Amino acid sequence: MVAETAREFEALEEQARKLLSAFVAAGHEAVAPAVLQPADVYLDVIGEALRARSYVFTDPDGDEFCLRPDLTVPICRLHLERHPDGSDKANYCYNGSAFRFQPRGADAAHPREFRQCGIESIGAGDRENADAHTLALILKGLEESGLKEWKLRIGDLGLFRALLSAIDMPERWRERLRHQFWRPLAFREELERLTKPAEGHAIGIPAELLEGLDPLRAAESARKVAKYLDDHGIELQGVRSLEEISLQLARIAADRRAARLPVETANLIEGYIGVRAPARAAGARVKDLIRDVGVDITPALDAYHRRLQLLSELGVDVAKAEFSAEFGRSLEYYTGFVFEVQVTDLGEGSPVAGGGRYDGLMKMCGAPANVAAVGGAIHTERLLKAVRG
Amino acid sequence: MEQATTVLAESGLVVRKTGNERGYHGEIEGIGKADVLFVSASEIAWYLKTGKAHLGITGADLVQERMTDFQARVQLLKPLGFGFADVVVAVPDCWLDVRTVAHLDELASSFRNAHGRWFRVATKYVNLARQFFVSHGFNDYRIVESLGATEGTPAAGTADFIVDITTTGSTLKANGLRILDDGVILKSEASLYASNVAEWSPNIREAQNVIMSKLGL
Repeated sequence: MVAETAREFEALEEQARKLLSAFVAAGHEAVAPAVLQPADVYLDVIGEALRARSYVFTDPDGDEFCLRPDLTVPICRLHLERHPDGSDKANYCYNGSAFRFQPRGADAAHPREFRQCGIESIGAGDRENADAHTLALILKGLEESGLKEWKLRIGDLGLFRALLSAIDMPERWRERLRHQFWRPLAFREELERLTKPAEGHAIGIPAELLEGLDPLRAAESARKVAKYLDDHGIELQGVRSLEEISLQLARIAADRRAARLPVETANLIEGYIGVRAPARAAGARVKDLIRDVGVDITPALDAYHRRLQLLSELGVDVAKAEFSAEFGRSLEYYTGFVFEVQVTDLGEGSPVAGGGRYDGLMKMCGAPANVAAVGGAIHTERLLKAVRG
Repeated sequence: MEQATTVLAESGLVVRKTGNERGYHGEIEGIGKADVLFVSASEIAWYLKTGKAHLGITGADLVQERMTDFQARVQLLKPLGFGFADVVVAVPDCWLDVRTVAHLDELASSFRNAHGRWFRVATKYVNLARQFFVSHGFNDYRIVESLGATEGTPAAGTADFIVDITTTGSTLKANGLRILDDGVILKSEASLYASNVAEWSPNIREAQNVIMSKLGL
């Protein structure tokens, strides 16, 4: 373990001062959210995978805490403490430590402890405008810190959601694809499964049990399942009710009888996910892809183009941006625009900055409803390294 | 412990306690350089992990649970043919709709909608459970650490299903639980391990070689 967290303490402090003053000048309030966070919120948002990449521990009272792995969730909690409704408009900025467990061992590019400096913009109704301003301000901070060369990678999870909604399929399949989107391998398997005869999915469940179950006839299904349990001497236990179990069985039964997802549709979805193109050309590429199959996602594409236009007007050279449909898949809380700033010397795995839209996160942290929110953070040690060359 | 000394004795390695009959130290007949420590299986895993012991007999379940990097830390020398047990995922038998991890994953969202929380999984194998579920793309659950009587937690309502060790499956059955069709995480047995992080002087190597050749390795 390192004994010193910042070898270049004074240089990092000076860099942070510059970044923060740029952020404050743009109307962001500097705040200091807690380093120690209740593990609950993170575990709910990220799931148990959190434990594999963060420092989670139990305090003497038996409560679970974690050292914040990023500052976005802490900012959401801070905002909620001030405005319990969550939807009040606010712009924040911060500079502080974040902590990550590095399963392959820590090194200079992947430290256990590092400093993030960033901005969050909460409650702004014009989403594309807030997206563009966030990215533009992060880039401004980077440039004012002396970074001259950078590449931009962007994505838009709104396009994927729109595509999925526009394609004709049972809502349940849509739910499953959305649910698996964050796990590329599982997603591919799910897509393949939907195109194949459905017997596979019911493997292990006795066929005689599924016979005649129908989600639209819940009471009758529940009676059949109750009889099956009774006949086999199986007792009900746990929190799941007979109705829950029989409904799920009925869904599986209905799925088995349903028509399958056409292979062309699966290919279309795969085709979309594979799109990588310069940002300006990407919209046209997506349009070409879906035109022949009669799928219309014009509003989402318009939003995508409008955001690029706004970025351009804010002086961002969008020619440097590459669009990747798949990008944004690694963090489950992103819901729309996502971006990453890369520097050639540090490589693709070590972006100097990144961020995106997370409209669902405030609700997961306790707000009564979803709140429009977007933010970005700079990995300050990497930035210093990139600036010094 | 008795089983371990029996297996070793069958190979001509006679382990004897030294000093107090109720003590925890021993020696191997004819190998003066070997110090034997009688400690719990989970402590043996820790001794191997930290290099406090050169050789140790413990279960694969404990080795893999306690060391995320077990391949680097220890070397499996020989499975010893006793202490067989499986680490498994088991759900209430009444969950007729759940036969595989994929079924659990599919159910996760509606379970959360109905009960306002993710599934709770009771286990003392926190790392093994997590790695297994990650490899199946299943992430929507919360672990409840359980240090004893894990198989009773679904009935008690403190967990929804469990990851636990089982030898014959009869305890699971008695508690109304059923192993998922693809729910065997690890087949474990007592095995002889060498620690890669311990300091291996020529003297110690020599003693190890004697032990290894007796074991036919």
